[in-house]
Amino acid sequence: MSDTPAKLFFMEKDDKIEAGVLGEGLLFSAVGSRYRLSQRGDGVRAAKCILYVVFIFCLVLHARPSYAQERAAGEEKRQCLRCHSEKNSVKKFPDGDFVSTYVDSVALDKSVHRSLPCTACHVDFSALSHPDRAFRNKLQYRIRESHGCRHCHTDRVIRSRAIHEALFKKEGSGEAVICTDCHSAHAVARITGGNVSTSEDNYCLRCHAFENRMRFRNGEFRSIRVDVAEFRDSPHRNVGCSDCHFGFSAQEHPDRRFSSERTYRLSSAEICKRCHFDKYSKISESIHYSMLNSGRLDAPTCIDCHGSHAVLSLSRSRLSVVQKCKACHSGIYEIYARSVHGSALFKENNKDVPICIDCHSSHSIKDPSSSEFHDYIPDLCSKCHSNAAIMGKYGLSVDVVKSYLADFHGVTLGLYRKEAQKRYRADRPMAVCTDCHGTHGITNVSGADLLTIKKNLRKRCHTCHTNATENFPDAWLSHYKPSLRVAPLVFIVEEFYKLMMPLMVIGLLFQVFLDIWRYFASR
Amino acid sequence: MVYGKLSGDKEYVRRFSAYRIIEHIALIALFAALAATGLSQKFYALGVSQSLIAVLGGIDSVRFLHHLAGALFTALVAQHVLLNFWGIVYRQWEPSMLVNFNDFVDALHNVRYYIGIADRPAVRARYNYKEKFIYWLILLGGIQMIVTGFILWFPVAATKYFPGQFIPASKVVHTNEAMLIFLLVAIWHIYDSMFSPDVFPLDKSIFIGYSEKKRFERRLAEPENEAGAKNRELQRR
Repeated sequence: MSDTPAKLFFMEKDDKIEAGVLGEGLLFSAVGSRYRLSQRGDGVRAAKCILYVVFIFCLVLHARPSYAQERAAGEEKRQCLRCHSEKNSVKKFPDGDFVSTYVDSVALDKSVHRSLPCTACHVDFSALSHPDRAFRNKLQYRIRESHGCRHCHTDRVIRSRAIHEALFKKEGSGEAVICTDCHSAHAVARITGGNVSTSEDNYCLRCHAFENRMRFRNGEFRSIRVDVAEFRDSPHRNVGCSDCHFGFSAQEHPDRRFSSERTYRLSSAEICKRCHFDKYSKISESIHYSMLNSGRLDAPTCIDCHGSHAVLSLSRSRLSVVQKCKACHSGIYEIYARSVHGSALFKENNKDVPICIDCHSSHSIKDPSSSEFHDYIPDLCSKCHSNAAIMGKYGLSVDVVKSYLADFHGVTLGLYRKEAQKRYRADRPMAVCTDCHGTHGITNVSGADLLTIKKNLRKRCHTCHTNATENFPDAWLSHYKPSLRVAPLVFIVEEFYKLMMPLMVIGLLFQVFLDIWRYFASR
Repeated sequence: MVYGKLSGDKEYVRRFSAYRIIEHIALIALFAALAATGLSQKFYALGVSQSLIAVLGGIDSVRFLHHLAGALFTALVAQHVLLNFWGIVYRQWEPSMLVNFNDFVDALHNVRYYIGIADRPAVRARYNYKEKFIYWLILLGGIQMIVTGFILWFPVAATKYFPGQFIPASKVVHTNEAMLIFLLVAIWHIYDSMFSPDVFPLDKSIFIGYSEKKRFERRLAEPENEAGAKNRELQRR
């Protein structure tokens, strides 16, 4: 037996295809011949027909090699399973990790590869040879075994499914791609309806549907029960267990140990980035991520806000977003709840008022104490306060942002922001909306009396203008356009210049024109 | 009037002393600095303003330069006012810039000239009414700019003495008055001393101190008026 069984298999497979094609061609030519034969003598014609039929029958018999193949495969499988049906048998790796060598024959018989002999995939092995291969660790072993798949499932065929494109990219960048992570090994099932491992879920839930606890090194416990109803209701209902729980399958259940529940949750959150990489890259710029990087393990990760099995798309309910943030930011939550925005949200479930993520964004949350964030606050407020459709409902003016931007602080801030893109850094902060109106506790101005507003405003002015006098807040016209009622002095001066400027310019130009004209006319 | 020869055959008339020449050059420099740093703040949205602000090192640096030029301008105006007041009151300097009755006569005469009734424009020996008009507009406008400028520079201090509304009002005055003076200089003064057919291409007298006698002849040939005679009398002493 010079050929390895695998090679033999491929030759048989190829032969079958050729024989099939050949047989079909002959069938057609036989029909054609019979038509031509009818022109000749009947005896010869009958003899030739019988000859063809016998020949075709022989070919058809030959074209069903799976009989023989299955028999051979069955024989081999029996031989392998003599040892590999042993449930407690494992292969150990130098780093102490191990993989079970048990093969579930029932699952194997149900798999799409049921007709293949073991050696079709496990090419290093045969009935006569069982090499003792050495691997550094389990990962190396899995990568090596995964190579077997690529013998039959060529890159071209794999690529024909768009879902694999990301994996090729990953492979291109040097990362290992292991087929069995998604398709499982011996129990590989036909992929239908995009549901890779439907059966796998049921397998996992045989234990995980019940209350069980996971123990951490620091003595903490955690339930590992999966609420099936919640999971079936989640957007991930079509995702298989092992799609997220990387390295786990019907065959494998590594015993991983974590120092604490928090480290377990942090490591679990890493799973999400495999599919939601866009969100992950946003998070990597966020203050929560930099907190995590600096060693603050209590910084929130994906699953802290979105949950795990009952994963929640937070865009569904604005109230629930606020509740999520409250878990850590309860102090700010209390202030917000009393504000004009917060009270409208809680009392009327108002859809127009901003919630946490409208200003802070959901994933790429910036440090709110940074000057970059501070300088962009007018943009945040103007999202609603320049929108006539929203402001119209509440009788609010949309000119507030415009009047701010036209005044000293707004103009300076605009220039600072332009400079920040270049090489200059402003050495002082500029007052923005929140510096006068407050941040989370913004209250309605129209309800308060003028004196209180002025008193409060003076306090705000004091932050930067330390010696601000009682008159000082009046320097700001409170977003109002000057008029005879609001700021008569400013209004009169403005009107005077509106009249003077064109009069003077026209007068001067007229004078110049007359001067030139008369000079030449009188020469 | 002092007659003299600078060089060559041309005869010249002395018009300005070295002090006035330096004063005018300082005024040009400060006016240019204030206009550049001020107008770029007024029209901050324009690309050219933003380029200038970037070149000068950011808006804070532009404001610093504007304040510096403003302070120097204040000094220039202060010395001008004080020195001339002292000179006129105690040293019998010719108050040649003071507006007098003849200026109104000249202005009326010029209206007649421009509508074609009179043949020749009004001519006045030393400073005509147009020159006086622009002088006073720039001097009074300049003082207005100084006052409002200081209010805007020190708003907190200003509100100790004035109501808060003075600050936005000062801003309106400062920005509009600046524009007014700028246009006055850009349209009228530049025309009068550069493009006017009388002086084209440039009336150099404010830089060299002398006017060509030939060019000034029309003014010199004018018959004496009462005020002029008095002035000349004063000058002879």
